[in-house]
Amino acid sequence: MTRKREYIALLRKSLGEHLQIRETVVPNEVYLSLREKSLSTLPDICSLLTKSMKAHFTTLVASDERSLNDRLSLYYVFSVPSADLFLLLHVPVDPRHMEVPSISQVLESASWFEQEVKDWFGVVAFPNIHRLASHPDWPEDMHHMLKDVDPGRPVPRVQGTFDFKRVEGEGVFEIPVGPVHAGIIEPGHFRFSVAGEPIINLDVQLFYTHKGTEKIAEGMSPQRAVFLAERISGDSSFGHAIAFCHCVERLGGYEIPKRAIVIRTMLLELERLYNHVGDIGSILLDVGFSTGAAMAFELKERLLHLNEILTGSRLLRGMAAIGGVRRDPEKTQVQWHALRDMLVWAKESFEPLVDLVMTSSSVLDRLETTGILGQVDAYRLGITGIAGRASGTDRDYRRDHPHCAYPYLRFRTALHTEGDVLARLKVRIDEVRESFAILEQLQHQHRGEPLLATITRVPRLKYALGYVEGWRGEILHWLMTDKAGNIFRWKITDPSFHNWRALPVAVRNNIVPDFPVINKSFNLSYSGNDR
Amino acid sequence: MNAMLTVILPPLLQLLLVLAFAPLITGIIRKTKARLQRRRGASVVQPYFDLAKLLKKEVVVSPVASWLFHATPYIVFSSTLVIALLVPTLVTPVPLHWIGDIITVIYLFALGRFFLALAGLDTGSAFGGLGSSREMSIASIIEPAMMLAIFTAAVTAGSTNLSIIVDRLSSTPASMLNPAHLLAFAGLFIVTLAETGRVPVDNPATHLELTMIHEAMILEYSGRYLAFIEWASQMKLLLFLALMSNMFFPLGMATTWSPGALVLGCVAFVLKVTGLAIVVAVVESTNAKLRLFRVPELLMVAFILSLLALILYFIIGA
Repeated sequence: MTRKREYIALLRKSLGEHLQIRETVVPNEVYLSLREKSLSTLPDICSLLTKSMKAHFTTLVASDERSLNDRLSLYYVFSVPSADLFLLLHVPVDPRHMEVPSISQVLESASWFEQEVKDWFGVVAFPNIHRLASHPDWPEDMHHMLKDVDPGRPVPRVQGTFDFKRVEGEGVFEIPVGPVHAGIIEPGHFRFSVAGEPIINLDVQLFYTHKGTEKIAEGMSPQRAVFLAERISGDSSFGHAIAFCHCVERLGGYEIPKRAIVIRTMLLELERLYNHVGDIGSILLDVGFSTGAAMAFELKERLLHLNEILTGSRLLRGMAAIGGVRRDPEKTQVQWHALRDMLVWAKESFEPLVDLVMTSSSVLDRLETTGILGQVDAYRLGITGIAGRASGTDRDYRRDHPHCAYPYLRFRTALHTEGDVLARLKVRIDEVRESFAILEQLQHQHRGEPLLATITRVPRLKYALGYVEGWRGEILHWLMTDKAGNIFRWKITDPSFHNWRALPVAVRNNIVPDFPVINKSFNLSYSGNDR
Repeated sequence: MNAMLTVILPPLLQLLLVLAFAPLITGIIRKTKARLQRRRGASVVQPYFDLAKLLKKEVVVSPVASWLFHATPYIVFSSTLVIALLVPTLVTPVPLHWIGDIITVIYLFALGRFFLALAGLDTGSAFGGLGSSREMSIASIIEPAMMLAIFTAAVTAGSTNLSIIVDRLSSTPASMLNPAHLLAFAGLFIVTLAETGRVPVDNPATHLELTMIHEAMILEYSGRYLAFIEWASQMKLLLFLALMSNMFFPLGMATTWSPGALVLGCVAFVLKVTGLAIVVAVVESTNAKLRLFRVPELLMVAFILSLLALILYFIIGA
């Protein structure tokens, strides 16, 4: 708390003339309203916050609040790990002048966020004609996240073509890949410019799976939206659901039963486990090392099976609820034994797999120095999660913004600096080991205590952030309720939205046949990115 | 009538053997790999079902494809059939021994590859071009290594005619253990992995278009055409294994067409080839695929092994 007080005092001293500082019911959120006259200083303020005040840009929330105060609102969200604090820099936008200064010049990590706000809300910050989040066959003036666009009506289509960065020169070829791929993966289009095998440039076209999740949630009751949150990205079902629950619980200031917190932490770690083990398998498969891949996939399958025994769902769905969890995964003897036996077995079979990989020179030769994401690039683009921690970005919300049971647990944050495929594999291996240790610490904690707090009414016209450290990286939601306590605006930030920008940087100067393994080492979600 | 039979029967028998046995070898390799991965795996006869299915399916052809695309499957398939009559399997002399020698075999393989590469480019798909360019650049380094390995055997026997090589070797079994001979065999084994598109050079099991070599080239093929190409590459694998086992270790090969000798030859052939197929499966299971630009280094190893073999031969003699 004292760190928070000191930090706010510092903010007031250095930026008080431009900002109005306001605290809410949520202890670690501070809203900074930019004064109308100071609009042009926005980039400088953002620059100051990140460069000298240890804040990291995490997301940009736009909200159409014309029905409330005749303004649209932009919230630039910064995380301050050193003080466990979130700064939400609020910029009101006059609907007659849908323009704000761009902060991408000083904060490159914000550019995709600014482009999304331009495509979906029509608030122009980023002076780029390139469309990002809406495909070119949508009309130019179609900003579907504005409140006056009816989500029930189909969007009219116009003539439009994707425009890709072209590289020209002797012997330069373009290879178009996707959006439909050979494996069972999501749609995305990759446009390679190659000179022989080396990749000169990669353009990625996403948003084929835009489902309008944030739009259709508007007006929905938070209880129902939990199920929607589980479907944002299949591999992070539980992570997204809990991030959303955190929003509601934080804005209502609800107390969550201790047992529920323990269970949530357990399930978050189980989600991390099966995804990490699966990714290790996929990386090995992509370098043609089928024996190691088969070992990893067997382990993943057993972990998924354990999920089913514990929760009735392989993807841990149907467990999250506002105020706690729906069932106790350690309720019966069968479940308890399954969990205990599985952890013993999984730990025993994971280490031989690691030994096999780390002693196989043909595998290491493929992974080392492949797809390097340098530390400077990772920092510049705001890369989070596994990919960040493999490139020297020491961030982990479990430690920096403690949530669930993490403040009471002993664990280490994995950190590597090489930034290649091998480093991302090593981060996963370290985190799998930590997950085993965390699960051991959690078993039986507060067993038999209540699972669900009774929540009568969700407060009206309140807003709060909700976050968890998902397996891929930080999952950050922002929720605002309307006059009936239903959802007014819900902004979902999947770590993939940050990390997709790392891929073109990491593949540059690598050869085409190494692309699949580089891509797999990031393993980004299309659905979570496109929403 | 009898004379006719002796002319027609041997080639027919050899053709049938290669045609019928080739898919099984692929099945055995897949099964071995599956077992090594603790999977149950598909049945060893699955490749037969796959071929039968593909033969029944319709062919989808890109509207921009030229005659090359249509002709290639037949050229590849028939050139492989001709090779099947040139490579010793059960009996020496081989049915077409008077038509050509080992050089003919190498260039008949090259002919098939040449047309496959053209067909890969023909449809204008990005992956086809990618596959063709990779296949041809790897082929240009496989060939010298393969030539050298085979010439070592040829020099030992004093002839490039496969039947004569086999005969000479059979008459002096001790020379099979000659270090020069063994080194050349190792060289040819590496060449075989590269030539038939196995791990660590290519991965026949992958679904990733961007990493493919051989598979990328034939990505546009479907139905009957694909069946012919698949069958031809299965035969190619078998023929390479046959070359390795019979050109270097012609144990048990029949020299006459008596039933007893034939049965013995058949058993020896099946055992040797299956053994080699299992070795290939083990290599595939214990290695990751090489980075594309490392493939020349591997083939350089094959080249040097063969070169050493040749030098050894001249130093210590046969």
